[in-house]
Formats: sequence, structure tokens, C-alpha cells
Amino acid sequence: MQSVKTLIAYGESTMLKICTVYFGDLYTPDYVGKLFNSIRRNSSIPFQSVCISDNPNVEADLVLPYNHFSDVKKHWHKLKFFSPNFADQHPGDDIIIMDIDQVITNNVDDLIGHAVGDNELVTYGTWWKSLLDTNGGFYKFKSGSLKFVWDDFIMNPNYWQMHYYINGDVHFKYYGEQNYVNWKIQNYNGKITKTPEEWISKYHTDFSENCILNTMYCDKFDVDYMMLDDVNENIKIVHFTGPGRTIHDYDTSWIREHWK
Amino acid sequence: MRIICCMFGDKFNQWHVDNLKHMIDTYSGIKYDSFEVITEDLYGNWYNKLQMYDKFRDDENLYFDLDIVITGKLPNLVRKEFTLLNDTWWREEAHTPLNSSIVSWTGDVSHIWDKFKADDAHYLKKYDKGSDEFYYREVEYQTYDPVCPKFNMDKLDTEYNVCTLGQMHHVMEEGWTGWWNQYFTS
Repeated sequence: MQSVKTLIAYGESTMLKICTVYFGDLYTPDYVGKLFNSIRRNSSIPFQSVCISDNPNVEADLVLPYNHFSDVKKHWHKLKFFSPNFADQHPGDDIIIMDIDQVITNNVDDLIGHAVGDNELVTYGTWWKSLLDTNGGFYKFKSGSLKFVWDDFIMNPNYWQMHYYINGDVHFKYYGEQNYVNWKIQNYNGKITKTPEEWISKYHTDFSENCILNTMYCDKFDVDYMMLDDVNENIKIVHFTGPGRTIHDYDTSWIREHWK
Repeated sequence: MRIICCMFGDKFNQWHVDNLKHMIDTYSGIKYDSFEVITEDLYGNWYNKLQMYDKFRDDENLYFDLDIVITGKLPNLVRKEFTLLNDTWWREEAHTPLNSSIVSWTGDVSHIWDKFKADDAHYLKKYDKGSDEFYYREVEYQTYDPVCPKFNMDKLDTEYNVCTLGQMHHVMEEGWTGWWNQYFTS
């Protein structure tokens, strides 16, 4: 396994914030609490949980309103966290933005405590094919150091939110947030650091597709399995990526064990 | 003297009206006789503002958008002639140099409404970026000297005591913090 510099200590005046967005009815409010609870079960690093939500029943230390009448749509609200003026950020804070459709399956100290510097974005390294250097499931950065991501977006949100769909880069309206972040970081010569690829996995609705993913993982990392009744011990997070894919539609032993 | 604002649609609500009144009453030094809120949503966009020229045909009138920040005493913004902001001292002209975040007139300028209303479908299509281009192309106007810069998130501009949020009106939402919070109503 690759060695990883881990930053575990946060001073009295600095904080780690893990930030999410919950809206609509694809997921249920318990996704938020389950994500934060499972991170706490699998980490020794203190953090503040934050959620932008249209449902007051989500469980987080700080819940901020999701404005359905805003020019900002859907998961593009995630970009607000790039502004140091949002969510009670303070200089020196480390900010993590995570999608809520993830199951924590092992200790994540090395992930959420991953060292990060100014003008740097830490994101998932993925072992499956991706055209982007960034993965929207996980962003970590120093508070305010990448503020241009939000500042440039909010100058013309309607344009950016449809740009990647109109351009044919994505197949659903209002998708493309990670394309924008990827481009913007590169545009400002930001550093993109990827976490070790074996830490992340994804799960599919289709049995044959899951078999292919298992084989790919085993071949790449020389292990016996990715997922059977349990999840390989090298995997820290399983991301249910893809439009319409939800965790609660599955009933496996490892989801019952870890997603609570 | 009459203060006027517009509230319609979903982006702005009673908090924004209360907030404007709070900033005017607390910081601006403006003395007024009535505070009027236009709520009729005829067009679903900012062309609704033009109703004020029909509704208020006398006296001194001073209009403010809801997404401005007032931080201190303002100069006299009441004008005899129909007057609005010219932004080109801080931005490119684009499709119009004008900004109707602050507007003033005295007496009857209902000809503005009459002209628009007589062919509203045409003007809505022709100037689909907003009503400020309608003023620019179709109406005689005066402009203020520089009085209202754009919002600067990083620091309070103490020279002008009022700024327009424009695309930055999200900072009025819960969760955003900065120098502006202290001037907003709770």
C-alpha cells in the first residue's frame, strides 16, 4: 500500500469540517446521519458535520437551508463550501466535501486526515476508467484556498450548470459539477492529489457488472476479492455512483453491517 | 416622500422587505412618509417593477431593489427627473450601462409604464435580458453620479454606504458570513 502522510491533530482554533448536501427525494434523510455516524465509528479524528438540506430531520452538527428558489441547482450547492464565507469557516480549517451515497467500511483516519496544502485538492484516486482527475465523491482542501471555484461559478451559475450537458460531456441536465471543479483547479494551476486507489470501490445494480468490477480490483491490487459477504479490508469506502443509484435499494450483509 | 420596493416570486420574501426597511431606518438617514411594496406578479420577472410608474404618479419617489446593502448615511438620492444608476464606472457596459437597483423621480412618469404596457410582449422578447435594457433603449433618463458600487465580499466600502449584491444575493441566505451580516435584520 502507498504510504500516506496523515494529519490528525487540529488545533483549538482550527477544525475539520465534513460537508454534505441533501435534497429531494431520491435519498432518505438518514443517509446523512449514517454517513457521519459511520465516519465517527471508523475514525479517531474529531470533525464538525455540516449539511445543506431541504429536510430539517437530517442529523448533522450544522444544518444549513437548501434554497430551492436559488439560481444554484442540485449538487452544485456543494461548491458553496469552497467559499470561506460559508458554513462558519475559519482560516486554517480543513474542508471535506462528500457525497452522501457512500458506505464507510473501514478506518478512514488516513483519508479524512490526509495532509493538504494551500491551492491543493485531495480527491479519490479511482481504479476504474475516468476522464477526470477529480472525483466529486470526496474533495479536501484548505478553507478559502480554492475560493475561485465558487467565486467564478456564481458569476454565471445558469451557464455552468448546463454547460457540460449542452457540450455532451454528461448525459443529464445539471450534471457536470465535478467536470467544472476539475477544469477550474487545472485552470488556476491548482494541485490535484489522489488518494490510493484501493481505498475506494463502487457497487453496481447489475450482477455481471459487479463480477467485472471484482475481477478488475483483484487483478489491479493482487487480492482475492473486492466484495463477497464482506468488503476487502483495503477498501475504506464504497461509493454508489451513477444516476439514480441508491444504497437503500440493496440488502447485503456488508451494507447492513456498515451502513448505520 | 415615498420609498418603494418590489417583492414577487420565490427568490425574495418578507424577510428581504423587512431587511430593506431595517437598513433604511437604521443607517440611511432617509426620512420618508410611506413605504410601499409592490407584490403583483404580472410578468414573473423584473419587468414587474415598471408597475410603480403607473401606481405612483405624484410626490417624490425613491425605489430600492431588495438585494442591496445599506451601511451608513446616504446622500440625497431623490431626483426630480427620472433617474437610475449607471454602472459603467465599475463594470463593462454589456447590453446596458444602466442598473435600476436604485431609481428616483418626482411626479408623473407613467409614460414609461404606458409605453411598455402598450406592447409588452414585444418588449419582453426584444429585451429579454431584463428591464434595464428597456430603459436604455426606449426611455429618456438621467443617471446618478457614482453612488452605488458593486458588492465586495472581502471588505466594506466605506466611501458609498450602499452597494448592490447583483449575482451575490446568495449572501443574504443563512450560512453566509461576512462584514454585511451586522447590517441585516435578524
